[in-house]
Amino acid sequence: MLVLRPVELTDLPQLQQLARDSLVGVTSLPDDTERLRLKIIDSCASFEKDVEAQGPENYFFVLEDLTVKRLVGCSELLATAGFNEPFFSLRNRNFNSASRELNIEHGVPALSLCQDLNGHTLLRGFHIDSALVRTAFSELLSRARLLFIAAHPQRFADAVITEIVGYSTDEGQSPFWDAVGKHFFDLPYTEAERLCGLETRTFLAELMPQYPIYVPMLPQAAQECIGRIHPDGQEAFDILEREGFETNSYIDLFDGGPTLYARTSNVLSITQSQTGTVQRRSSIDARGRYLVSNDALEGYRAIVAELDVQTGQPVGLSTEMCQALNVTDGSPIRLIAL
Amino acid sequence: MIVRPVRFTDLPALMDLVQQAGPGFTTLPTNEDRLAHRVRWAQRTFAEQVERADADYLFVLEDDDQQVVGVSAMAGAVGLREPWYNYRVGLTVSSSPDLGIQRQIPTLFLNNEMTGQSELCSLFLRHDQRQGTNGRLLSLGRLLFVAEFPQLFGDKFIAELRGSADEHGCSPFWDSLGRHFYKKEFSHADHLSGLGSKSFIAELMPRQPLYTCLLTEQAQAVIGKAHPNTEPAMKILNAEGFAHQGYIDIFDAGPVIEAPVAKIRTVRDSQALVLAIGTPDEQAPVWLIHNRRLENCRITVAKARMIGNSLIVDRLTAKRLQLQPGNSVRAVPLLRQQQQAVAA
Repeated sequence: MLVLRPVELTDLPQLQQLARDSLVGVTSLPDDTERLRLKIIDSCASFEKDVEAQGPENYFFVLEDLTVKRLVGCSELLATAGFNEPFFSLRNRNFNSASRELNIEHGVPALSLCQDLNGHTLLRGFHIDSALVRTAFSELLSRARLLFIAAHPQRFADAVITEIVGYSTDEGQSPFWDAVGKHFFDLPYTEAERLCGLETRTFLAELMPQYPIYVPMLPQAAQECIGRIHPDGQEAFDILEREGFETNSYIDLFDGGPTLYARTSNVLSITQSQTGTVQRRSSIDARGRYLVSNDALEGYRAIVAELDVQTGQPVGLSTEMCQALNVTDGSPIRLIAL
Repeated sequence: MIVRPVRFTDLPALMDLVQQAGPGFTTLPTNEDRLAHRVRWAQRTFAEQVERADADYLFVLEDDDQQVVGVSAMAGAVGLREPWYNYRVGLTVSSSPDLGIQRQIPTLFLNNEMTGQSELCSLFLRHDQRQGTNGRLLSLGRLLFVAEFPQLFGDKFIAELRGSADEHGCSPFWDSLGRHFYKKEFSHADHLSGLGSKSFIAELMPRQPLYTCLLTEQAQAVIGKAHPNTEPAMKILNAEGFAHQGYIDIFDAGPVIEAPVAKIRTVRDSQALVLAIGTPDEQAPVWLIHNRRLENCRITVAKARMIGNSLIVDRLTAKRLQLQPGNSVRAVPLLRQQQQAVAA
């Protein structure tokens, strides 16, 4: 049985192993003990905190295989992007090049540094064991965050965003970085991404280009990276796209990867999930697969389960499921079909 | 040889010159109607019938057989009727003390800072006449005219020198920048510029500063570099005190050289002298001499001796200037070195 739950301090050694395996560009997951320890402490405090309006909270979840007590994935939910430090992105919009006298009017795409995404809730730090890629458990790891938002809407913004890891080669070369960021940061791509996870991000503001970058002036390879997804980021993208997220005109400053955006009122797992009560059963005549969460806060749990869900009836869960979700007869739960 | 204001009868000779000059000579139109218009406009300028904003002082270089062999011009002011654009090559520093990073990134800033300044332009000398003092007379004669009539011009003179281009007339700077906004070849933009549409094309370009590190290496390499063909003209003006202060052409990145009028050697060092006729010796320095007239302006070069406040020239020189002994002239040694010799 695999369960998603808030991270705990005792997870640190295993978490560091996950960080080591995670993709360059999943910048919120640093391979650094002290930094990870602080992240865990910060997350624990966020779950415990009595929140009336969204703030700097960061909710860090892990996916644990209960049978072997092993962590196989993690994901994060930042209540407010840009709360403590500005959240930078590049806005890709047309510069309107026009002359009435010459009867010319055309758009030239231009990338401008912006903080337009400040204030939105941010999904980040998605990483799963390679053996579980494209299974129901990736869905759980990603979407349990959305079920958490559904259970605690006052803790989050009206819109949710995420940055999908952009294209880089197996050797860690990002054509977009080489054509843009490198000129301003004087660092290799992997080093820049590492610093992003590690240091305070003020260096970003200090070094970033303040004037627009015109897309046609970039080398072809860099232009092709705009909005392009790293193959390993495709699944995270697909899951959220099915949830109702859409790409917009914002891209990542470092690798040109796309940003996904959705208003919470349009997110499937938030609007279509149902609440119900638990009824413990010895056997279940499974009719479908569901993501199930217990709607709790510090004791938040979510699992994948084969269930027989009948409208207006309590939801039958096996003993194992009840243990994993830490629920008993009559406990409230939230579920959505996979 | 003399420099004098253009006349309408010079039109056929001017057309020949323009055709010989070929592409890249943007400030003189290749279309006969437009050229005729410009000549008429220049005549009105010399007759003081136009405002400085529209003034176009078009001169020709004429030999003693009344053959027109060269042309040069000055605009009373740029940018007063339609915007005049340049890039200034400035600097942006990308710095993070904590990370020990400091990047200095040359950056192009679009500006209209030359607005209201006067411009030297449209200089072309027939290939077979590129010898002796002809080039200097054609170029510096204009500046002696400025010395005589400074009230007709701005505080500063600029000259836009043609930028680097390959043998086909393609500009690497244009290919890396302007082409993305105008979506046509450099020769096309260059041609439209000649027709007076330069500001229209400029308006297609972004207003925000541009990081040069995002240009191609070839484009970066030609920023502020003059085309080899313009080097002789540039050297003459450099010796006059013109210098590149970081402004460039927005299309081909050729340098804009500039000088405050009061510091231009020919303006600063010229003086009013009384013309006398004699026989200057063979060692006499060469002077640039202006007859101090506006509409009937004539400027020439000749060996001359300055004695007191008199300038002794031969009879032919006086004839070229259409002056009599005792008339006033404005003169300056043609070369700076000779000027030092005169002073000594």
